[in-house]
Amino acid sequence: MSDPGASTGAQLILDVLADEGVGTVFGYPGGAIMPLYDALYGHSIRHILTRHEQGASFAAGGFARATGKVGVCFATSGPGATNLVTGLLDAQMDSVPVVAITGQVRTPLMGTDAFQEADVTSITGSATKRSVCVRDVAQLERTLRAAFRLARGPRPGAVLVDVPQDVLKAASARFNPLAPRRRTQPTLKADDDSLDATIDLICEARRPVAIVGGGARSAGATHLFREFCALLELPHTATINGLGCAEPGDSRFLGMVGMHGWKAANLAVNEADLVLAFGMRFDDRVTGRPDRFARGATIVHADVDASEFGKVISPRVALRGDLRYTLAQLAQRLARMESRPSFAAWGREAKALGGPPPPDRTPNGELAATSVLDRFFAHAPEDAIVSTDVGQHQMWAAQRQRASHPRNFLTSAGLGAMGFGLPAAIGAQFGFPARSVTAIVGDGGFQMSIAELATIARYELPVKILLIDNRRLGMVRQWQELFYERRYSATDLSDNPDFVAIARGYGIGGESVAETASLDAAIVRMLASDGPALLHCACYPEENVWPLIPAGTSVGEMIEARPFDDAVPA
Amino acid sequence: MTLALVLHDWRILERIVGLTHRLGCSYRSVEVHARDDDCYDARIEFAGSHDALRRLDAQLNRLLDDDKEMCQ
Repeated sequence: MSDPGASTGAQLILDVLADEGVGTVFGYPGGAIMPLYDALYGHSIRHILTRHEQGASFAAGGFARATGKVGVCFATSGPGATNLVTGLLDAQMDSVPVVAITGQVRTPLMGTDAFQEADVTSITGSATKRSVCVRDVAQLERTLRAAFRLARGPRPGAVLVDVPQDVLKAASARFNPLAPRRRTQPTLKADDDSLDATIDLICEARRPVAIVGGGARSAGATHLFREFCALLELPHTATINGLGCAEPGDSRFLGMVGMHGWKAANLAVNEADLVLAFGMRFDDRVTGRPDRFARGATIVHADVDASEFGKVISPRVALRGDLRYTLAQLAQRLARMESRPSFAAWGREAKALGGPPPPDRTPNGELAATSVLDRFFAHAPEDAIVSTDVGQHQMWAAQRQRASHPRNFLTSAGLGAMGFGLPAAIGAQFGFPARSVTAIVGDGGFQMSIAELATIARYELPVKILLIDNRRLGMVRQWQELFYERRYSATDLSDNPDFVAIARGYGIGGESVAETASLDAAIVRMLASDGPALLHCACYPEENVWPLIPAGTSVGEMIEARPFDDAVPA
Repeated sequence: MTLALVLHDWRILERIVGLTHRLGCSYRSVEVHARDDDCYDARIEFAGSHDALRRLDAQLNRLLDDDKEMCQ
């Protein structure tokens, strides 16, 4: 037991966390980290016990994605820490601020292959911005402060602080709440020459298109991006991480760009003579073959991270800086012009290149996942937070979501980590207890995190679960159908369990729907329920995601929707 | 490409090694010397294609920015 009169490394950690604004942490205890859990006992910081450390790191990421605050997770040494890795890399790849604190074996045991010892800083080095082990309690506060600073930005990400058990137990200087600590990061400002050059390119352009990515979300630049597009009547698209940065009802918004993006978005980028990329990193799921991406376009790339310039696509103009500053400066320059360009006509032309993907038709009236998602988004509250897992349902949801804010649509975009959806929704619900939070999951990913139903039940979280069950690992199955001659290797999940019964086993109500006619009422019941609820949707197993630009190709090779197996009359 | 780098935490060398390998580059020589101020001077000669070295240079800058921030 801790002596309440003494301060220890563990106590110091909690005091620093509280001072950094952390009210909730997600974690799982174990041997090496026991002193920290002992200090938590009775502390004002609320600890949420997940059922797996990966759930804790995903929940911390979900909390951070939804709130914009730093998400924090705890795990013990060895397997506890290694189980965090996927959630940390997910946060790192999508620039989400997460700080992980792991217990480590006592310093004299480090390097002896002790029980539950793992070289966690090496293992997580490339999964985080920084991963450090603190061997001296005198360095603990400084390291934690730096970890939070680094996690927050300018480009957010994941940081891990590994603390040996003897450091957690060591007597430490008492935390001084009056000490100066939070250092304000100076705003990175794009240079005037580059801003002027961008304005010149805009004035010369005939068919410009803007692409917004997750960087606008991180920077809090959503409104500025929208204003910039409005000033120019500019057609614009979003990467999956940028969804919600654009107003979904804006007539100039062309939808999501990329492999499963809207046809109009991809064709417009392909035909553009100027691409203005804001806070996006030209991921291969967006560009396809980089040498064929927007071949006729001059590229302007605005980002806070200079290492993104030329990593995939070389821009004519690189605007390095905080997107709020960049967009505000561009808008100011445009507003000062006596006659600024308007791209309204091109915007209408671009919009006419294609509409949103329609719901699919299925043989024998089987339930189409696309219909489920169309109906779900029609019924979901406007400010609903939706998380997805990874796979077909993720793409269908991304195509159909109506998020009016980028923190309302949470998805593992860069890493594409199955198992993300449910714990991310848990994290988001802790961030916003009164908001509607739904995890849209597939039958594969749901089973990777199914134990987190216990977390939902324990904390009586009103998380809703929309389960798209096609009894397949659908995205892999789709690629096997299209690119591997229908050799369906290891993608059949037709022996799935009774998901409604499992949910009930955890004390969570649920129902199953298999017909379109019953769909609306079931969705409304789920959304209206006070507590957690599962809606299991038994969907047609061979529904595919359209359109599709095969990996490593370009817009010219886009495959559009086609009937299932020729079984459905056109 | 030869870079003179200041390492605030010598453990960052491990990340530099990993990143170099990941980007398909290699080393011709590596020299690291402790300074009087807890930092380290590193002089590393990298080999690789022009594109890979350009990416490596950019990502090393980011890595070392984070290293500096973490040690302040």
